[in-house]
Amino acid sequence: MGGDFAGFGTPVKKRIVVTGLGVVSPIGIGVDPFWKNALAGRSGISALPPWQDLPELPLGGYRSQVAGQVLDFDPAAIPEGVHPDRYDRYAQLSLVATQEAVADSGLRLDRENPHRVGVIMGAGMGGMLIGEEEFAKVYMSNRPHRVHPNFIPMITLNSASGVIAMTFGAKGPNLTISTACSSSAHAIGLALGAIRAGQADVVLTGGAEASLTPLAFAGFCALRALSTAYNTEPTRASRPFDRARDGFVMGEGAATLVLESLDHAVKRKAPIYAEVAGYAGTSEAFHMVVPKEDGSEMAVTMTMGLHDAGVSPTQIDYINAHATSTPIGDPVEVTAIRTVFKKRADTIAVNATKSLIGHTLGAAGALGGVACVMALRTGLVHPTVNYDDPDPACELPGISAEVQERPIRSALLNAFGFGSNNAAVVFSQPSAPARGSRPRAR
Amino acid sequence: MASESTVAIQIRTALAQHLKRDADKVRPEDRLREDLGLDSLAMIELLFKIEEHFDLEIPNEDLSRIATVADVTAYVEEKLGAPASTSAAAVKPAPAAAPAIAPAAAEPSRPEPARAPAKVTSIKVAAKRKAAAASSKTADKKKGPRRA
Repeated sequence: MGGDFAGFGTPVKKRIVVTGLGVVSPIGIGVDPFWKNALAGRSGISALPPWQDLPELPLGGYRSQVAGQVLDFDPAAIPEGVHPDRYDRYAQLSLVATQEAVADSGLRLDRENPHRVGVIMGAGMGGMLIGEEEFAKVYMSNRPHRVHPNFIPMITLNSASGVIAMTFGAKGPNLTISTACSSSAHAIGLALGAIRAGQADVVLTGGAEASLTPLAFAGFCALRALSTAYNTEPTRASRPFDRARDGFVMGEGAATLVLESLDHAVKRKAPIYAEVAGYAGTSEAFHMVVPKEDGSEMAVTMTMGLHDAGVSPTQIDYINAHATSTPIGDPVEVTAIRTVFKKRADTIAVNATKSLIGHTLGAAGALGGVACVMALRTGLVHPTVNYDDPDPACELPGISAEVQERPIRSALLNAFGFGSNNAAVVFSQPSAPARGSRPRAR
Repeated sequence: MASESTVAIQIRTALAQHLKRDADKVRPEDRLREDLGLDSLAMIELLFKIEEHFDLEIPNEDLSRIATVADVTAYVEEKLGAPASTSAAAVKPAPAAAPAIAPAAAEPSRPEPARAPAKVTSIKVAAKRKAAAASSKTADKKKGPRRA
């Protein structure tokens, strides 16, 4: 496979490629089931069961009672030698996704210089479950002497990236990016940056989230950010771009992408799935939880991402939208897409992975990134489920409740987070010479 | 002398505290977003305060009914099962003391909450003031039709 790149010429920037994928999601553990169910439009949203160990905590106190849960996750699936009790669920999900991605890429740490292999992961909330349990011990039960010794190492936001490095022996840069809902998109972008800058040859990147916990879930309910109208019909609750959407559905999951320099991938004869062509991260410097309504800041972010990738708007065939299914957010994003792509916005395939799995917060960008890479590989764009009645405020011809098949040269991943922050990542066909064709001046 | 209901006074006082202005600067006809400048997060904060204080639930699907200060009052009075007329404009006998939603004692450094009940003006006075303000100075007033 690597031979395709021989004699390609000297790139302006070092080229970075994706050589491995791993997924833990509400619609499947493993890339294959995830992708199969995504293409089938199978919703992973289900009714919230009563809180485990807290039978007296009434579910009725929660406005939203649906979530994208990974119901079939077995902690025994984490790599051998890792003690499951020492790591929060979010880190366990990340470990399993990373195990798959590393195996998929054929990366052998024993054949690498371990200090050239980094881990850069996104996490929005971190180890919420143990956090909530231990808070209760101190605040409600006055038992500070009974706080679990693993409370601090488990709640620390970089526990996932830490245990991944330990498990796989990756001794390069080890970072956690926390920017709420855009965390793992920034993580991918910064992994790209680290390899470009020569700080590592390989970076295991992506993100994880498992904050379907009594307090965190109540917090998102209190923000009135979650869907409440479909508590009895969970699979209909996440409906980005649809007129009847009424908020996002919280999800949990993890995804890992193995990023490495093209040279390194070619040298070790790794499978090359896609190029990570460019990235932009910006702040709207505007509001903690709402985007600027004219979409101008999102538009600038997308434009900067395309520019970094050296990809023009005419080369983008697919956008994996942030599209959380909130009344405000979806139209703003579509406005921004129209600003950047003008008439071409009518011909680009656009979908919302969150329609299938809910909003996995710190894992959302990574799961969207996997959808981008799979779309590039297969030429298939998964459906946006529940797109029954297009809302004129956020209508695009390229949004569909059906699978769309088309050749995809480049794909754009959008991710926007609380804290007024935006990310855009561009993935391209590894064979497409995007370099040299700079976007036109606007 | 006619006056507003207790609920109306409490809501107006709470809003004034949130906005850090005198209670008589918050009028029943003020639109929460356009006139008082509450963004979506501030709206949610206000709803939370109201839910806590009156011990009621305001589901998301009811939010479209709430555009003005008077709408908030009407909504709360309806939820509390107030008599016949649930409009904030309904004039009721003034209570002896109308406690603000957040007790004055909570923030002793700010004089407004403590004085707020005494400063509360009737709808009529407020309307007169508004008319006077409108005739003298209209620059900062939004004149568009009220959002339904």
